[in-house]
Amino acid sequence: MTTLNPPPALAEPVIGRAVRDALPVVLAYAPFGLALGATLSATHLPSWIAWSSSPLLFGGAAQLLAVQMLDAGAAAVLVVLGALVVNARMLLYSAALAPHTAGWRARWRWLGAYLLADPVYALAITRFTGAHTDGPRERLRYFFTVGLVLWPAWLGLTGAGVLLGGVLPTSLRLDLAAPLTFLLLLLPMLTSRPAYAAAVTGGAVAVAASALPLGLGLLAGAAAGIAVGGWWGGRRA
Amino acid sequence: MHELLVLALIGLGTYAMRAAFLVMAHRAPPARVARLLPYVGPAVLAAIVVPAFVAPHGTIAFADTAPALLAAAAAWLAWRHLKRNLPLALFGGLAVWWIASWAVSAAGGLGLGPS
Repeated sequence: MTTLNPPPALAEPVIGRAVRDALPVVLAYAPFGLALGATLSATHLPSWIAWSSSPLLFGGAAQLLAVQMLDAGAAAVLVVLGALVVNARMLLYSAALAPHTAGWRARWRWLGAYLLADPVYALAITRFTGAHTDGPRERLRYFFTVGLVLWPAWLGLTGAGVLLGGVLPTSLRLDLAAPLTFLLLLLPMLTSRPAYAAAVTGGAVAVAASALPLGLGLLAGAAAGIAVGGWWGGRRA
Repeated sequence: MHELLVLALIGLGTYAMRAAFLVMAHRAPPARVARLLPYVGPAVLAAIVVPAFVAPHGTIAFADTAPALLAAAAAWLAWRHLKRNLPLALFGGLAVWWIASWAVSAAGGLGLGPS
């Protein structure tokens, strides 16, 4: 990791770059966000409580799971446990991003943690591990710009979905929008053979373990994929 | 109201997990751990994505799985060949999924193909 900055004349304005990277992601998230909002409003929960999962959780997968379990009358303990297992990947994101935030003030790291959702992580890590030579300042600007574009967009998209819930035609099926969106976050990360190996293993193990309760199959796949990626990468080195 | 409390608890737990390593960022991770970190993204996202395409409704069924896999392939190809344009790849994938789902159900209605 280098802390050398390119000379100002050559440096691309990092905030503009972050906005340009984040806006297509907002557009790609639109079907998922609208569909999630519609699903939230179709539950028996008061709409504003269901929607409050957007600012509280800031992550579609756990929001969907939690609100659907609450709607089905599941015990509170199980709902919390299930959603936290689904979100346990945030621990991994936190660990993987941490080395890139070492030069930030503590308060920015505490604040940044709130914004660390899947697309923010995906864009930031792709930028920070790419060919750029951002210093801590540029990385801070990039991360928070991406986060502050995606956060209001997510609240707005899911809110629009709640309001439009009854209006969207039921024949408009959007349930594949979420996995397609996550696939498009994954693709830029496949930059080496060990990364492919991690993804193939993670996917295969998650399918094999999909019968596990509480979404534990996701964690099993993630653990296996990370292990194989690390082993493969170490073998090459 | 108890639902709001449950959601707030999940939010608190999620924030704690997101913050866990970020707030200790001034301490470098041990080399053995650092070597694994580049594979977090690919492994986690694939573990979310692959089951959703292979078994969209929890089980592998031709009528669900084939259109979903076609859509994934279409999105991947579009992303690769159209300058990594995310919205185009996403809506292209969705369109392929709609057409393939319709084709599969139409073929099923005619008594063609596996049911």
